[in-house]
Amino acid sequence: MKNISRRQFLTYVGAVGGSSALLKTSLAMGLVNEDPYSGPVKVTPATGKKKPTVLILGSGIAGLSTAFELEKAGYECTILEASFRAGGRNLTVRNGDKIDEMGNPQICQFDKQENLFFNCGPARIPGHHRRLLHYCKALNVPLQVKANSSKMAYFQDDQFLGGKPKRIIEYHTDARGLMSELLWKSADSSTFDQMLGKEDVEKLMSFSKAFGDLTENGKYIGSERAGSTTDRMLEFPTPHAPLELKAMLDSRFWYGGLLGAELYDWCEPLMEPLGGMDAVVKGFLRNLKKQPTLNAQVKKIYNRDNGVEVTYEKGGKFHTVQADYCFNNIPAYFMAGIENNFTTKYQTALNSIKRGHLFKIAYQMKERFWEKDGIYGGISYSADPISQIWYPSHDINAQKGVLLGAYTWDPKISAMFEALSPAERLKVGAISGEKIHPGYSKNIENGISIPWGRMNHQMGCGMRMSEEDFEKYFHFLQKPEGRHFMIGDQISHHSGWQEGALASSEQALQQLNKLLSASVDQGSKIHVS
Amino acid sequence: MLVKSVLLFGLLLTISKPLSAQETATPQGLEYCTVCHGSQLKGNSNIGAPRLTQLSPWYVNRQLKNFRDGIRGNHPEDKTGGEMMVMVSQLSEQEIENIVEWIASTESSKPTPSITANPHDGEKLFQTCAACHGADAHGNKALGAPNLNGLNDWYILTQLNHFRSGIRGSEEDDTYGQQMKAASAVITSDQDAADLAAYITQLK
Repeated sequence: MKNISRRQFLTYVGAVGGSSALLKTSLAMGLVNEDPYSGPVKVTPATGKKKPTVLILGSGIAGLSTAFELEKAGYECTILEASFRAGGRNLTVRNGDKIDEMGNPQICQFDKQENLFFNCGPARIPGHHRRLLHYCKALNVPLQVKANSSKMAYFQDDQFLGGKPKRIIEYHTDARGLMSELLWKSADSSTFDQMLGKEDVEKLMSFSKAFGDLTENGKYIGSERAGSTTDRMLEFPTPHAPLELKAMLDSRFWYGGLLGAELYDWCEPLMEPLGGMDAVVKGFLRNLKKQPTLNAQVKKIYNRDNGVEVTYEKGGKFHTVQADYCFNNIPAYFMAGIENNFTTKYQTALNSIKRGHLFKIAYQMKERFWEKDGIYGGISYSADPISQIWYPSHDINAQKGVLLGAYTWDPKISAMFEALSPAERLKVGAISGEKIHPGYSKNIENGISIPWGRMNHQMGCGMRMSEEDFEKYFHFLQKPEGRHFMIGDQISHHSGWQEGALASSEQALQQLNKLLSASVDQGSKIHVS
Repeated sequence: MLVKSVLLFGLLLTISKPLSAQETATPQGLEYCTVCHGSQLKGNSNIGAPRLTQLSPWYVNRQLKNFRDGIRGNHPEDKTGGEMMVMVSQLSEQEIENIVEWIASTESSKPTPSITANPHDGEKLFQTCAACHGADAHGNKALGAPNLNGLNDWYILTQLNHFRSGIRGSEEDDTYGQQMKAASAVITSDQDAADLAAYITQLK
C-alpha cells in the first residue's frame, strides 16, 4: 500500500463495497475488535453405539453448562451434587427455603409472594457477559433490566457531614464541580502551556467549565444538576450548598462507591432474570436429559488408565462409579479432604485456591419506604460494615420488598459477621441502615444472612490465588490431569461471577476436544473411549 | 478405530460395594463434619480442619464438650475454633458419644509432612512433652494427655502456637489446656515450635 494511508484505503473500500465490505476489511486489518464470543464450544460429537460417559461433580453453573453441552454432543452425563439442591452459589431464596449455613441453618421467612425473593449469590448480569446471556436466551430465561445504580440513593459515613447521608447525585455533582474548578485554575495558571497550545488551553478551560458547571470565572458554587432546595416545578431552582473540597477528600466515598457504576462489570444497564437468578439453574435443569443426583457427597476420585473412578456417599451408602471423563466443579480447597491419586503438583495447585468470604444480608420490608424517597433500584453506600444497601428494581410500587441490607467481601468484615449469630447480624445491619433511612428498623419484618465462607458445601465465594500461585498454577489447572478436568469460576479470572464459571467450562471442553482430536490423530484408544 | 474403542470403555458402572473396614459410613446428620474434615475425617489443611482419625476417644469427648461450652474456641483470634463452637453448640451428651464412636471407627491414611522444619532439633524439646504424652506421643489418659500420633504437622504447630500465645488454654475451666499453656513455655521461638511439630509427626 504505497502512497496511500490505511484510512484512505478504507475510505475507498467503503465507497466501492458499502459498509459491510468496510467492516470485513477492517476485521482483516485488525482495526475493529471482532467479538471473541461466537457461542458455546461445539464438543466433538460422540460416535459409536455406546455413548461415552462423563461424571460431573457439582451442579453449580459450570457443572450444569458442561453437562448441557456434553449431552448435546451425545455424551451420557451423571451429575453428583453434595447438597440437597442444585445450583451451587446461584441461590435464590423464597418463603420456606433453607439456608444451609454450617452450624446456623436458617429458614427463609419471607411472605409467600412471587416478588419476595433474594439472590444470595450472583444477582446481576452486565451486557458483555456474552456466555451467560447466550444461555439465558437459549434456555428461555426472560431477563429484565436491573438498576444497579441510583443517583437518588445515598452515601453515608459517620466521619463525613456529621454522619448525615448525602444523595449520590449531590456528591457526584460536587466532586465533579470541585475537580473541574481545580482544572480550570491549573489551566489558568499556565500549568499546561508546555503541553497544549493557547487555543487548546482555552478549550480545556471551557471543558472544565462545562464538565463541572462552573461560573464564568471558573468557580464552583453548587449546581442545579444535583436538584434544588426549592420546588423545581414552581420556583427557580436553588442549588444545594456545595461540599467543601476538604470534606470531599476526607470522605471515604470517592475510593469506594463513587466508582460503583463506572466499573466494566457494573456498567449500566445490567440485567436480572425475572423472578430470581435461579431461573438460570432451572433453565439448565429443564433442558438436561438426566437430572443431578442430590445429597451425593464425593469421597474419592481416582484417575484410571481408561477413565475416572469416583466414590460418593449417599444416605449412608457408598457408590463407586466410573466414566470416561470427569469434570470437577467442587471448590478446589475441598480436594485435600477427598481421597485421590492426583500428582503432588496438581494437588498443590488445587491447594493454592483460597476461600473468599462474601457476606450478604436481606430484609423483608413491610413497606417500600425508599420509593417514597425517590429511590427505585440502585445502591446506597455505607462506610459501616454493611457497605451497601440494594433496592429492588423489580415490582416497583408493590406493598413490600426485599432489600439487600449488607454486602461485603472484605475478609475482616465478613469474619466479624460470620462470628455473629444470624439474629445479631440482622441487628448490626439494622443499626447501619437506620443511619441512611430513619425508621428503617421498624420496617423490617424478617431477614436472612448468607456468609458464603460458612455455607455448607461451598465454604467460600470469590476464590482467590496469590499472584505468585496464579502465575505458577492457573494455566496448569486449566489443563486436565488424566481425564479429570477442573471447572468452576475458580478456574477463571472472574471468580464470583457466573460468566467466569461458564468460561471455565468452555475452556475445559476445548481441552476435551483437543484430547479427542489428539487420540484420533494417533489412532490411540487411550483417550477416546 | 473410534467405534470399537467406544465399546471398550463406554459403560457407566454403578457398583454398590459392601462396606470395607476402611470405609465407615457417615452417620445421618453428621455429613457436615466431613465437609471440612474430609473423607473418613482425614483432615483438610485448606479449611484448617485437622485429621480426627486416631485421636484418643476420651480426648475427643472432652474437646467437643469444651467447644460446646465455650471453653475452647472462644478466643477472638481462634477463627477455626470459633467455627467449631458453632458446629457443636447444640450437641447432647449422647450425640457427643455417637460422634466419638464414629471418629474411632474411621480409618484414613496418615498425613504427609507439610511444614519445613528440623525434626532432629525438635527431639530435645520433646523430652518435656514426653513426660505426659509419652516417649512415642501415644498419650496418657491418666494425665489427660492425648495421643498426638497421626495428627497433621500443621495442626500441631498451630495448636502449639495457640497455647504459647494464650489463644488456647486461657479459659478458667480449661484445666488441661492451662497445663499445656504453661508447658508450652519450653518453646521459645517459632522455629522451635515447627521443629517440635515436625518431630512429633514422624514418631511411629
